[in-house]
Amino acid sequence: MGPLVVYEVITENTNLFLAFFIGIGFGFVLEQAGFSSSRKLAGMFYGYDTVVLKVFFTGAITAMLGLLFFSLFGWVDLSLIYVNETFVHSAILGGVVMGAGFIMGGFCPGTSFCGAAIGKIDAWVFIIGLFIGVFIFGEGYSLWEDVYKAGFLGSPRISEYFGISEGLTVLLVIIAAAFMFWGGEWAEKKFPREDY
Amino acid sequence: MKTFEFSPRLLTTALILMLGLIIAAVPRNTTTPFKLTAEQILDEIKSGTQYLEPEQIAQMIVEKEPTLQLIDVRPVTEFEKFSLPGAINIPIDNILAAEFVDVLNQDIMTNVFYSNGTTQANEAWMLVRQLGYENNYVLRGGLNYWAEAILNPERPASTSPDDELARYDFRMGASQALGGGGLAPSESKPATTTPIPKPKPQGKKKAVAGGCS
Repeated sequence: MGPLVVYEVITENTNLFLAFFIGIGFGFVLEQAGFSSSRKLAGMFYGYDTVVLKVFFTGAITAMLGLLFFSLFGWVDLSLIYVNETFVHSAILGGVVMGAGFIMGGFCPGTSFCGAAIGKIDAWVFIIGLFIGVFIFGEGYSLWEDVYKAGFLGSPRISEYFGISEGLTVLLVIIAAAFMFWGGEWAEKKFPREDY
Repeated sequence: MKTFEFSPRLLTTALILMLGLIIAAVPRNTTTPFKLTAEQILDEIKSGTQYLEPEQIAQMIVEKEPTLQLIDVRPVTEFEKFSLPGAINIPIDNILAAEFVDVLNQDIMTNVFYSNGTTQANEAWMLVRQLGYENNYVLRGGLNYWAEAILNPERPASTSPDDELARYDFRMGASQALGGGGLAPSESKPATTTPIPKPKPQGKKKAVAGGCS
């Protein structure tokens, strides 16, 4: 039955059309969760606000459980789901660059557009910086092409890597998330900040 | 007496944990729903989408189309006597052998089954179609019609419509390129073959591209 595009239940264009509305919904929920505030986002790194961790892990767990149950009911064929390729070197480098930018700028790419949509000036400045970064990456591509494409691992999944079942992986992630949420709330009490 | 009350967050955590336990306990669903029902196959047979015309195939062979994979489903002895250029031999008895799955279940090449007539090629096509494999087709008319239409084309009457003459010219050209008996074109001027559209692979089975960063 699913994925809908692969089985040609809906066309590629309908897919993009639906993605437009899902995107609007995603942005709306991000904004409602307070993700348009760079102080709230940066709070993740200082410990006074861990809502970012909670929202993203809740999203991940919901999606994981949903996909596996859909697969169990025969509603979606997991082997046809697109999984991003892993280039381990660029994943690490990109993670460091993105993390540093996240702390300094107070936004990640998605939330910066969320902030820009409600007129936050710092979000607009962040987006300008984002495009400068895109420009530098594109123009200097030949310089870092070797690093960028090094360490190709295909599309490994955590479950395949450790040789455990997907369901068990989900259970472990849920348990890990429960501990992280607990730790996050402990940090919020430990490093409180009222003025953000 | 003090009663213990579940807070909403504790309830949610318990619910999610239980769902996690369930999904960890059940085996993974490995049945692939990508199989066609008998009705779907019948629809495809009725509309004849599995057929590719000999002219299309001849054009692809002449142009050395890299995505064309001719598959001879006749027995090895017949394959060794005569086969189309570039064809591989998968006798219909072996069509389900594990070694051929990569050939038959892929989304890059255009596989074209052929046999002497079309019966065996169609049988092969129905089998792989039932398995949900894409990009498999049948040479219309089989080798018998191929010999008649491509290798030894019959000159149409001079009063025939232009497109028939053009098809004849094309067949003559293909015949010469593929070692048939044809020699003279229908007219002295250069052959005006209409380009034959390449077969459009229908409904490729591939993962959705996308992602978010």
